[in-house]
Amino acid sequence: MNKINGEIYMQNKEQKELLVRLGEAQNKFGYLSEKVMIELAESLDMSISDVYGVATFYSFFSIRPQGRNIIRICKSVPCFLKNSQVIIETVEKEIGIKPGETTPNGKFSFHLTNCIGVCDKAPAMMINSEVYIDLTPNKISQILKAHK
Amino acid sequence: MEQIALTINDRQLSASSGMTILEVAKENSIDIPALCYRQELSPIGACRICVVEVERSETLVGSCHTPIAQGMVIHTHSKKVLQVRKTMVELLLASHCGNCFMCDKANICELRSIATDLEVGLPRFQVKKRYYPVEDASPFIVRDLTKCILCRRCVSACNEIKKEKVFGIAYRGFDSKVVVDFDQPIDKDVCRDCDVCISFCPTGALSKHGEIGEEKKGEPLIISG
Amino acid sequence: MAQQRIVLRNCGVIDPMQISTYLDRDGFKALKKALAGVTQEQIIDEIKLSGLRGRGGAGFPCGLKWELAGKAQVDEKYVICNADEGEIGTFKDRYILERDPFTLIEAMAIAGYAIGAKRGYIYLRAEYHCLLDLLKNAIGQAKEGGFLDQFDIDIREGAGAYICGEESALMDSIEGKRGEVRYRPPFPPSRGLWGKPTIINNVETLMNIPQIIFNGGHWFSQLGTEQSKGTKVFSVSGDVKKPGVYELVLGSRLRELVEGLALAEKVKMVQVGGATGRIIPYEMIDMPLAFESILGAGAIIVFNETRDIIDIVYRVMEFLAEECCGKCTPCREGTEVMVEILERFSRGGGLETDISLLEEVASAMMLSSLCGLGQAAPIPVVNSLQYFRSVYENRIRQN
Repeated sequence: MNKINGEIYMQNKEQKELLVRLGEAQNKFGYLSEKVMIELAESLDMSISDVYGVATFYSFFSIRPQGRNIIRICKSVPCFLKNSQVIIETVEKEIGIKPGETTPNGKFSFHLTNCIGVCDKAPAMMINSEVYIDLTPNKISQILKAHK
Repeated sequence: MEQIALTINDRQLSASSGMTILEVAKENSIDIPALCYRQELSPIGACRICVVEVERSETLVGSCHTPIAQGMVIHTHSKKVLQVRKTMVELLLASHCGNCFMCDKANICELRSIATDLEVGLPRFQVKKRYYPVEDASPFIVRDLTKCILCRRCVSACNEIKKEKVFGIAYRGFDSKVVVDFDQPIDKDVCRDCDVCISFCPTGALSKHGEIGEEKKGEPLIISG
Repeated sequence: MAQQRIVLRNCGVIDPMQISTYLDRDGFKALKKALAGVTQEQIIDEIKLSGLRGRGGAGFPCGLKWELAGKAQVDEKYVICNADEGEIGTFKDRYILERDPFTLIEAMAIAGYAIGAKRGYIYLRAEYHCLLDLLKNAIGQAKEGGFLDQFDIDIREGAGAYICGEESALMDSIEGKRGEVRYRPPFPPSRGLWGKPTIINNVETLMNIPQIIFNGGHWFSQLGTEQSKGTKVFSVSGDVKKPGVYELVLGSRLRELVEGLALAEKVKMVQVGGATGRIIPYEMIDMPLAFESILGAGAIIVFNETRDIIDIVYRVMEFLAEECCGKCTPCREGTEVMVEILERFSRGGGLETDISLLEEVASAMMLSSLCGLGQAAPIPVVNSLQYFRSVYENRIRQN
C-alpha cells in the first residue's frame, strides 16, 4: 500500500518557528552563523542539514557575514526597461564593489534581486527593508549617504 | 476495500482504491521506469520519469504518486510519454558527468539503463555540469555528487528506513544539492555502516569502498533497441 | 471605458490606519450578516453563484474550493491569504494592502466562518516587510472592535522566494521548510497546511468576498463574461506613460487598458500575466482580458518598438531559473538549458538546432513539471517562437 496520505504529514510542528527564528537571527547578527543554526536545530528538534537547507533556500537569508546595509537592486524586466543597468553601474561606482560583494569597511553589501513589486515606479531598489523608487543616478549618492 | 475499474494501455483492469497508477501497472506487469520512486519509500515525485498520459488531463501525471480513480484511461508508453521521458533523461545526462567508462556502478546504473531503453544518445543540450570533489573520508561510504541526479532517494531512505537524518537538500534550483550538515564532506562521525542509502542510489553517486570490480557484479546491462 | 471599482472601492478613500473610516463605508457589515443567521452552506452557495474565480493566476472557482474544505469533517482547518505577490510586473496586491487592509481581514473572517476554520495566515513576501506594521495595526483594531472573536489571523513573512507564491510551496514555507512544491492530489482543501483542510486565496480574490456577501452572488455574476465574472485589477508597467493599478470589468479589451488608460504608444508586444505569462504581439491587442482568453495574475508589461524580443525572453527565463525550487527534473534542468540557449541568441549567436531544442524542452516541461511554475515557464519562449520566429532565424543566419 502506498504512503501518499501517510508519513509525509507525520511531522515536527515545532519547525514552523524556523523561518521566523532565522529571520530574527539574520536581523540581529546580519547573517546566519553555524552557531545559530546548530542552536536552532537543537531547539526545534531538526537536523543541521535541514536547517542549513532552509537557510540556503531563501534569498533574504545569508550564511556569510553581510555589510551593515544590504542594497538590493531589482534586475527584473520592468526595471530593466527603465534602465536599471544605469542604476546598477552608479551604485557599483559609488561604493566600489560588484553585485555579491561587501565593502571592506563593512558598510554595504550589494545584491541584484528579482522583482520587488514596485514596477510602476521603476527603477527601484531596497536598502535593508526600505524601498526606493523612481531612481536616477543623481538620487543614488544622496540615498547612500543617508546610510551609516 | 473498494474496487476501481480502469484501463491501462487498452487493458481493462481492476484494482483496490488507494493504489497508485504505478502500483497497479506493476501488479499487471506493465513496466514504468522511475528514478526516484522505490517501493520501500514514500513517493517523492521529483524525477518525473514515471509520468504517464491520463485521458482528459492537460498534463502528464506522475504515476508514482497519483492515486487511481474510477474509469481512468491511462497510457504508459504512448508516443507523447516516451518523447517526454526521453527529453528528461537527456536533460539529466546533459548535466551529468557521463564518465561511465570510469564508473564502478556503470553496469548497475539505473540512469544508464533507462537511457539505453529509451534510446537516448549523447545529450544535445549544452549545459554546465555539476562537478564536486569526491568525498571518501568516511570508511563506510564514498560520495561522488558529480554523479548525483537529485532523485532524493538517499534522503528518504535514511529518514524513513534508518530513522536518521544524515542528508538534507540545500540551495535552490539548478544549484540544489544533497548536503550533510553545513554542506560538509561526509565523514565517519555522521554515518555508520548501514549501507541503506547506497543500495537506493540509482547512479554511482553513493558507493562503498571496495575492491576493483566489486560493484560491477550486478546484472549486466542489456542494451535493447 | 469599463472601469469599475469593487476590489479597489475603498483604496484612497479610507485611512488604512483607522478602522472607523472603514466602518463608515459599510465595513464588517458583510461579516455581521454572515454571522447572524446565515449558514455556512449559504455563504458558500453565494460565492458559487457569484462565479468568482481565483485571481492569483490559475483561476480555480473560489466557491468550489471553499465547499471542498467546508465539507471535510475535521476540527482543524486553515484559511491562508496568499500575499506573496512575486510575479514580475505585479504590484496590485501591495497597492491594495497599503490602502485597504480591513476588507481583506473581513474577507478572511468570512472565509473562516464559511469553512469552519479558527485560524488564518497572511503569507507576506519579504519584499513587502514595510507593510507589516500596517497589517498588524489593522488586525489589532479589528480584534479590539470584536470582529475577530472567533477567528485569529497571523502574519507569516516569506524570506525571498518567488516559488512560495505557488500554493503548495507556500504551505511548506509556513511550516518552516524549504518552499518546495508538493505533488497533488491531495489538494489543499482536503490536505493542506500540516495535512489539514486549507483554502488558499490570493489577496485580490478575497477582496471580492465582502461585496459578494453584502450585495449577493447574483449581483456579482452580472458583471463580466460567461466564464469570467466580476472585475480584475491590473498592474501596468513598462513602456507606458501612465503605469499603475487599474480595475476593469472582465472581458475588457487589452487595448483599452494599454493604449486607452496607460497611454502606451508604438507598442510592439505585451506580456500578460507575469514571468510565465503569454506574450501578445500588437496585432492581437484587441483580445479580451478574461479567463477564456488571457489573464494570469493581471501583470501587464508593455514593450515598445525599440525592444528586442529575445533579450526580454532571455531575462524572463533567467528569472525563472533562479526562482525554480529545484525539486523536479524538467523545471530544474530545463530552465537552465533554456537560459543557455537564449543567452547565446541574445549575444547574437544561435545554432541551427537551437530552435528545435527549445521547443522540445518546452514541451517536456509543460507536460511533466510538478507545479504551475515549471508547466508555464516555457510559455514566453513558445510565444516568442510563434510570433517572432524570424528574429531567431535571422540570428542563426547571421551567425
